[in-house]
Amino acid sequence: MAGQKMHSAKRKRFINNSIVHVILAILAVIWVFPIVWVVLTSFRAEKGSYVSTFLPQSYTLDNYVKLFTDTTILNFPQMFLNTLLIAICSCILSTFYVLAVSYCLSRLRFKLRKPYMNMAMILGLFPGFMSMIAVYFILKAIGLTEGNLIKLALILVYSGGAALSFQIAKGFFDTIPIAVDEAALLDGCTRWQIFTKITLPLSKPIVIYTTLTAFMSPWLDFIFAKVICRANSDQYTIAIGLWKMLEKEYIDNWYTCFAAGAVLISIPIAALFLYMQRYYVDGLSGAVKG
Amino acid sequence: MGIFKKRVNDFPTPYTCTRAIREGGLETKLSMLLMGFGNIVHGQRIKGLLYLALEVIYVVFMVVNGIGFLGMLPSLGSVPQEEVWDEAKQVYMYTKGDQSILILLYGVATVFVTVLMFLAWRGALRSAYKAECLAKEGRHVNNFVEDLKSLLHENLHRLLMTPPVFFIFAFTVLPLIFMICMAFTNYSKIDNHLMLFDWVGLDNFAALFDSSSILGSTFWSVLGWTLVWAFFATFSNYIFGMIISLMINRKGTRAKGFWRFCFVLSCAVPMFVSLLIMRTMLQPEGAINVLLRNLGLIASDASLPFFTDPTWARVTVIIINVWVGVPYTLLQLTGVLQNIPEELYEAARVDGANAVQIFFKITLPYMLYVTTPYLITTFTGNVNNFNVIYLLSGGDPVTDLASTAGKTDLLVTWLYKLTIDKQYYNIGAVIGILTFVILAIGALITYRNSKSYKEEGGF
Amino acid sequence: MKKRAVAVLLAGVMTLGLAATGLTGCGNDSAEGGTENVRLMVWSPQNDQSKDNGEWLQTMCNNFAEEHPEWNITFVYGVADEASAAGQVAQDPEASADVFMFANDTLTTMTDANALAKFGGKYREEIEATNTQEVLDSLIMDGDLYGVPFTTNTWFMYYDKSVFSEEDVKNLDTMLEKGVVSFPFVNSWYLPAFYIGNGCTLFGDGTDESAGVDFGGQNAVDVTNYLIDLEQNENFKIDDLGSGIAGLRDGSINAMFTGSWDANSIKEILGDNMGVASLPTFTLNGEEHQMKAYAGSKAIGVNPNSKNMEAAIALAVYLGSAESQKAHYEMCGTIPCNTELLADESISSDPVVTAQNDTFNNTSILQPFVSKMNNCWTPVENLGKGIRNGSITHDNAQEQTEGMNEAMNSDGI
Repeated sequence: MAGQKMHSAKRKRFINNSIVHVILAILAVIWVFPIVWVVLTSFRAEKGSYVSTFLPQSYTLDNYVKLFTDTTILNFPQMFLNTLLIAICSCILSTFYVLAVSYCLSRLRFKLRKPYMNMAMILGLFPGFMSMIAVYFILKAIGLTEGNLIKLALILVYSGGAALSFQIAKGFFDTIPIAVDEAALLDGCTRWQIFTKITLPLSKPIVIYTTLTAFMSPWLDFIFAKVICRANSDQYTIAIGLWKMLEKEYIDNWYTCFAAGAVLISIPIAALFLYMQRYYVDGLSGAVKG
Repeated sequence: MGIFKKRVNDFPTPYTCTRAIREGGLETKLSMLLMGFGNIVHGQRIKGLLYLALEVIYVVFMVVNGIGFLGMLPSLGSVPQEEVWDEAKQVYMYTKGDQSILILLYGVATVFVTVLMFLAWRGALRSAYKAECLAKEGRHVNNFVEDLKSLLHENLHRLLMTPPVFFIFAFTVLPLIFMICMAFTNYSKIDNHLMLFDWVGLDNFAALFDSSSILGSTFWSVLGWTLVWAFFATFSNYIFGMIISLMINRKGTRAKGFWRFCFVLSCAVPMFVSLLIMRTMLQPEGAINVLLRNLGLIASDASLPFFTDPTWARVTVIIINVWVGVPYTLLQLTGVLQNIPEELYEAARVDGANAVQIFFKITLPYMLYVTTPYLITTFTGNVNNFNVIYLLSGGDPVTDLASTAGKTDLLVTWLYKLTIDKQYYNIGAVIGILTFVILAIGALITYRNSKSYKEEGGF
Repeated sequence: MKKRAVAVLLAGVMTLGLAATGLTGCGNDSAEGGTENVRLMVWSPQNDQSKDNGEWLQTMCNNFAEEHPEWNITFVYGVADEASAAGQVAQDPEASADVFMFANDTLTTMTDANALAKFGGKYREEIEATNTQEVLDSLIMDGDLYGVPFTTNTWFMYYDKSVFSEEDVKNLDTMLEKGVVSFPFVNSWYLPAFYIGNGCTLFGDGTDESAGVDFGGQNAVDVTNYLIDLEQNENFKIDDLGSGIAGLRDGSINAMFTGSWDANSIKEILGDNMGVASLPTFTLNGEEHQMKAYAGSKAIGVNPNSKNMEAAIALAVYLGSAESQKAHYEMCGTIPCNTELLADESISSDPVVTAQNDTFNNTSILQPFVSKMNNCWTPVENLGKGIRNGSITHDNAQEQTEGMNEAMNSDGI
């Protein structure tokens, strides 16, 4: 009797699991499908932006080769390096800002704490691109709109608003028990030491999450970058380059290269995601277990 | 009204400005004119000199540039560009005229700097008074090195908050104030007010609220759709993301990392690439319709009106947004979901609840409590979700030929079209402000009344 | 104690004051006795500066420097394509190029921002001597000339010679009987060709803003009805998102409408069968009407904030001269508009050159560049999209056309 019951319970679980796996598989296919299409397009041999068949009819590696060799019109390698540099610097700065602000808001108590949290929520409600012109002229007044300093300008702009997105990090810090801090204070640590020696090591998941999101934004934004780079084509970022490939003079020759470029950008970001996976699951829920 | 509670000062201190003015000694009162004087007198030489240097820089700036900028602010410049024909060189020579946009920006920046200076002045006054009081009481007055050390401890918040806040002020707040000022001018391509424009007060607001004008009627319909969109976009992503996350996390699922990677992969491809590709695929002659035709599901010259019928377009946009947003939701909610105490689930199962009931009675309420700030932020983010709408549908379809907005246009994409395409900057600024006001009131009320805000620290 | 503080204070103020005066003293270019040091920033599309195409811009600028030994010129190059140059210059004229290339329909963007200098005196005479009046009209506003034209900018027709004969391509309806034609129906730079062909007008002769747009009345409704039928025609395909050129590639389309930027790709596809012609006529209610494209020009402009106006104006005129246009054509394939060059056999034998200039002279109207032209794009595009998706039919054609006309005449406010 008991054996039969166990058997049917097991069967039930098996059926449930299979159903779930099937659903997951279908959903995964839907999610991955457009990516696959982009990758296929990047290998497509036929030129042009329009296809009458769903899948490419012939494949080639030429699009990737062209990105790196045909640099007279659109200098992909240089744009890639520019964007990489900007992304790395801005993600370091952003991470520092977010950690600093979240720690202060979570752990320290000072008069402007609640007003700051309200202000941060409000500032996010305004559309960003209205202020593009103002930001350009502010940067011009500081002198950051010529030559190589444009990269510095972009780094500052991309990391500038980072301290407004502290909610997740703050929520995370909130889960670290105050007892830990108090014990350290009793031992004579300054708050700075608590920050660097205790809190930071525990906040690896947050660092990684913030790094990833901060790393991505310079690759994607073209509106701000165009306003600030203007005619300095050697300072262009990838996003500007990809957009240029879609202009009517270039689109016929460069559309498949556009797909190839998109794939190339996705690789570092996807790699970062993969690397972060393991930290992600363990950590973001709570810091100190047991 | 809950919002206007009387503000309670949690951090009282005896060293306030008013007390300094009323009860301070001579050196403190002199500090009102010469910042840092009181500090120098009581031995805080470096700190005092720093305050003094700050004052000198400010005065020099105001004398050289600032007064000029402030003076031009009411009129916003009126000198047009001048042109002179040079017979010898056979060219026209030009002298630069006023450019109202720059005058406005510099004026606002000067006001901003003045306000900051005022706050610094108050700080200097307070510190002079504090030094005087401590000296009178015979207590120790910090010298500079000790002040620096305190930055690492009691005043750590000053050290850590200042750089980020400085950049926020410079790149977010100042441009924002500048944009708000634009709403009260006639800076727009209409009547050629792009170089020299003037203050017009509330005229733009009046035009927007006048529903008999094209602008007014467009505004209300776009606003309605924006709110509907934000609601559906936020909750569809939230619920869907949660369900997928639960499915991946349950005990029976194998290869959890692989499933997660599949879903998260779509984040890696830049949004404008994937959205542009989808837009191309869903056109009347695009890949999806071609596929459906080949499969025989629709007639050979028909196409599904993904972006050409208003209702279809709205639904399509929401569905594609699920594709875009679920990976992010997955990333952010997974951790929180895993933190739900296992005992709750076990107790429910023992009581005989099935999966659906567990979801609605345990998981959902718990998640809503923990992630309310996140939901509010996502809702406001979706109201301003420029990328998805602009790149995917471009606001199409436009059923009213005279209107400047389409049926899937949000306030923010309509704003973009008015500002960048048509150069009606002042109207754009007004819409930005109104969007903000509506969102801010809603968000603040919800946020402050939510349990998360009230019971902070009760985790 | 107090005396020391006051002394320190006074010293500080004095040093700061000296520093301030010192800083304001520098920053003038010194003009020497014989040669003058001149710095010119020049913007052009990437195409014109790239090594692949022989660095046309750099070569021409160096030639110019050699011809003017009285100036010691340093050139600084930047990249801005003709369509967006106006926006970049208007955003910040002070920090923009002295000489740049722009498309004429962006002229008002720059004049609104006081960012375009006029040409006068001997330079204007030189320009006027080597360009046709229509080309000059595209750059003249209120009687003043604002740029040096170096090419015309319009669209025309490419067709497969093996399907259509030269006679066939004179009329659109004849073509539709013989082969498949693709037209950018939902692009408002192309669609008005039919309306203008049937008598609709924009701003009087194109310069009179107060005359408004006349895309209404029976003329326009007739065209809308014609377009609805055209869209239903089996041999008529809408060219959108590159489907035209893809159709040429796989042979499903035999004729398409585009400009000189696609010439190379189409030559690659059709080879010797590539035919180029100016626009055909279309038959409406039994009468033939000529399709008329919007035409404009691309020109070289000068920034009024330039520190060396004379050198900048001279350079601009040089870059638009016959010599430069010839090199531009040979190196980059840019179609010249200089009248001397067009009379030259070697250039006029190129079919694309002939088609473009024929279109410009005979089958086009000058695209108005008054400010209110800005309102004329979206309504036409929406009409095209409406016909394509079936929401505009013969039943509501009149109403929708009137709606489009009203929208083109309003600011949208």
